[in-house]
Amino acid sequence: MYTKIFKDGLSRRRFLETAASAAALAGINTRVLAADKVIKIGFLAPLTGPVAAWGKPGLDGCQIWAEQVNAAGGIKLADGDYMVEFVGYDNEYDPAKARTGATKLIREEDVKFVMMLGGDTWPGAQPVADRTGMLFSTLLPSDLAPDTETLLAPAEVHPIYNVTGVEWLAENKPDLKTAVICAQDDALGLPSVATYLAAFEAAGIEMLEEPLLFDPATTDFAPVVTKLIAKDPQIVCLDTCYSDYVHPIAEQLFQQGYKGQIISCTADFYDQMIDKTSVEFMEGFIFQFPDFDDPALNDEAINFKNPNGFFAEYTKRHPGEWGAVSWEYASIMDLWKDGAEKAGTAEPAAVLAAMKDGGRGLHAFGTADWWGEDLFGIDNALVGNWPVVVIENGKARIKAFKSIPEWYAKHGDLLKKHMAAYGQMWNQRG
Amino acid sequence: MPRAVSHIAGWLGLAVLLIALPHALSFSQQEVLVFLTINVLLVASYRLLTLTGEWSLGHVVIMGVGAYASALYSKQLGIYVPVSIILGALTAVLVAMVLSYPLFRMKGFYFLIGSFAAGEIIRLLWKRFRDPFGGPKGIKKINPMPDLDIGVYSFDFFEPVSYYYFALAVVTLSLWVMWRIERSPVGLTFHAVHWQDKLAQSAGVDVRAYRTRAFMIASGFAGLSGALLAHYIGTINPNSFDVELMVFVLTWAIVGGTATFYGPILGCVVLSILNEVVLRELGFEQMRPFIYGLLLICSVLFLPNGLESVVQHIMRRRTNVQAAKASRAGDSARYNVEERTEP
Repeated sequence: MYTKIFKDGLSRRRFLETAASAAALAGINTRVLAADKVIKIGFLAPLTGPVAAWGKPGLDGCQIWAEQVNAAGGIKLADGDYMVEFVGYDNEYDPAKARTGATKLIREEDVKFVMMLGGDTWPGAQPVADRTGMLFSTLLPSDLAPDTETLLAPAEVHPIYNVTGVEWLAENKPDLKTAVICAQDDALGLPSVATYLAAFEAAGIEMLEEPLLFDPATTDFAPVVTKLIAKDPQIVCLDTCYSDYVHPIAEQLFQQGYKGQIISCTADFYDQMIDKTSVEFMEGFIFQFPDFDDPALNDEAINFKNPNGFFAEYTKRHPGEWGAVSWEYASIMDLWKDGAEKAGTAEPAAVLAAMKDGGRGLHAFGTADWWGEDLFGIDNALVGNWPVVVIENGKARIKAFKSIPEWYAKHGDLLKKHMAAYGQMWNQRG
Repeated sequence: MPRAVSHIAGWLGLAVLLIALPHALSFSQQEVLVFLTINVLLVASYRLLTLTGEWSLGHVVIMGVGAYASALYSKQLGIYVPVSIILGALTAVLVAMVLSYPLFRMKGFYFLIGSFAAGEIIRLLWKRFRDPFGGPKGIKKINPMPDLDIGVYSFDFFEPVSYYYFALAVVTLSLWVMWRIERSPVGLTFHAVHWQDKLAQSAGVDVRAYRTRAFMIASGFAGLSGALLAHYIGTINPNSFDVELMVFVLTWAIVGGTATFYGPILGCVVLSILNEVVLRELGFEQMRPFIYGLLLICSVLFLPNGLESVVQHIMRRRTNVQAAKASRAGDSARYNVEERTEP
């Protein structure tokens, strides 16, 4: 039968020719002209599978970033201008594939910098990073430890920035005094639980129950939500749940008649959540990741270049796909580009030194400090202001920029207490 | 050429090919080769379990038992890594023995579901008990295989080529042991338990004991593959041994076919190369799950007996051609003899 198919319709040669042509066409948009001097940047994140929502939109954002930078003349180093090209590798959020991907990007593609989502995948790539001295970035500072000297968390200090949402909530809705939390029981959920517990305690908000930790394999959230709202909390906190969980939980809260406040780290694709619930139900939903068409991002303190234009281009190319990470990897590239141009070279060690020079950096939301020794054992996280976003009439709007260092100066001990209780301090891991 | 000589030449050729193979590959393909070698052991051990007719959904969790045990023995107790790998495999045997008491009260579909439940319980225990299992984050910085210098070759086990040779040696030995078991009276009894369990029982075979034996032996080799994995990547967590990987193992076994020893291995090799090398190299990075799924459907539709049926088809044709040649040669010789002996 199999030979008959090839005989009658499709020869092996024809199949290979077609496949090769398709592959060439697929890659044509992302390549720069062969005559240009090129710097390759590795993108090692989940592009397929359940965690792809925190990888693929980032790569899409980076392609736009590269086109804009290349159109403006590229990266200006001591020996000339270089175009930027991103090389992606789908690690499927698997440490073994992260190791393979890191090997391919560093030893075969000769990339000068590797961006990762981090989490479960960083320990797989770490031995390769240690051996090669390659500069890596993560979105999850909980990957940082004293021995991760070439790993930076320059975009977000997850989950510490979640304190800003709770702080804003306590200031603006002081009558809300009781809360519950649910989260998936994994490397992303647990440090976030500890952070929210510290933030609620600092704000004088009482927890009605112990945090409800559900298995990441959960698909039916009806019983989870029933248990969650059994004591009629004023605030339901969705922690740092993946969008595959945030959506069904919000839907269940709506169906089970919950009318209180919801706060969450992310609300990726919130328009779909509104479609599944209602504009009224989602009104006042607090989270941490703005749409970049927000007028508040045009403030001169913001370092992300042309956020409104970036958002317009992104949503034109990928309608309905804007999410928490769409801009984050691109903002890391802004920092890396500044570091490389300052160092005059793309060599990882020199760029790292230039990026950390003076202990301050131009974070997307304003100038920030390299910080983290207290929590992570190393000052490799860039921390400053972070936006608090609220859904109003079906649209996400920035309500305030709150300072993470200021909160930490007042309540740092609380955070350390809860982090330690959940085994999330760097010296308690693994 | 006599058959025995051609067999030896074939095996020697395969050995040379496997030894030379990593040097013809890129760095990332060498990494894939290491994982592929480990997965070959996993899927071959799974077939050993299916010999008695039982299909388990907990096999990768048993692999995880070996991985966790070996990681903890070396990290917490300071046991020398090669020894901890063997102890990890033995721990998997032990856990399989304990699980066999409730599981082998069930058969068929009930066993399948029971094995899934047992596996999930073990995974939940890893998540629940942060000490010693590390909770959802698992165990990191697992001791690597210590480097080894044997004069002619220096093994740096961070490098995929060195670890591949180590894994290849372990897997080859394991496959040989599994092959001998299948060919032994015990293996024949496994087949009897699968196809004629009532008859076997009436002949005095303790069916449950043989099912337990197959389960324990298969689990030991699965645990060994888990231990090999843990000491290579240096980190494991409960998600590394979830139902998604189990689906891959089932797919390798089904697409390869389970009637022969090499069927699941063939499925594992072909599908892994397709998914991890061919589709990535062709630039279908994000389309892989779609294309992979499509090819699986096609293979089930057009190759219902698995890839092994293709090999069997080729072998049969080769045998028929050789037989025809021999027959023609025989006819010709007979004709010549008859011609010469005619008065």
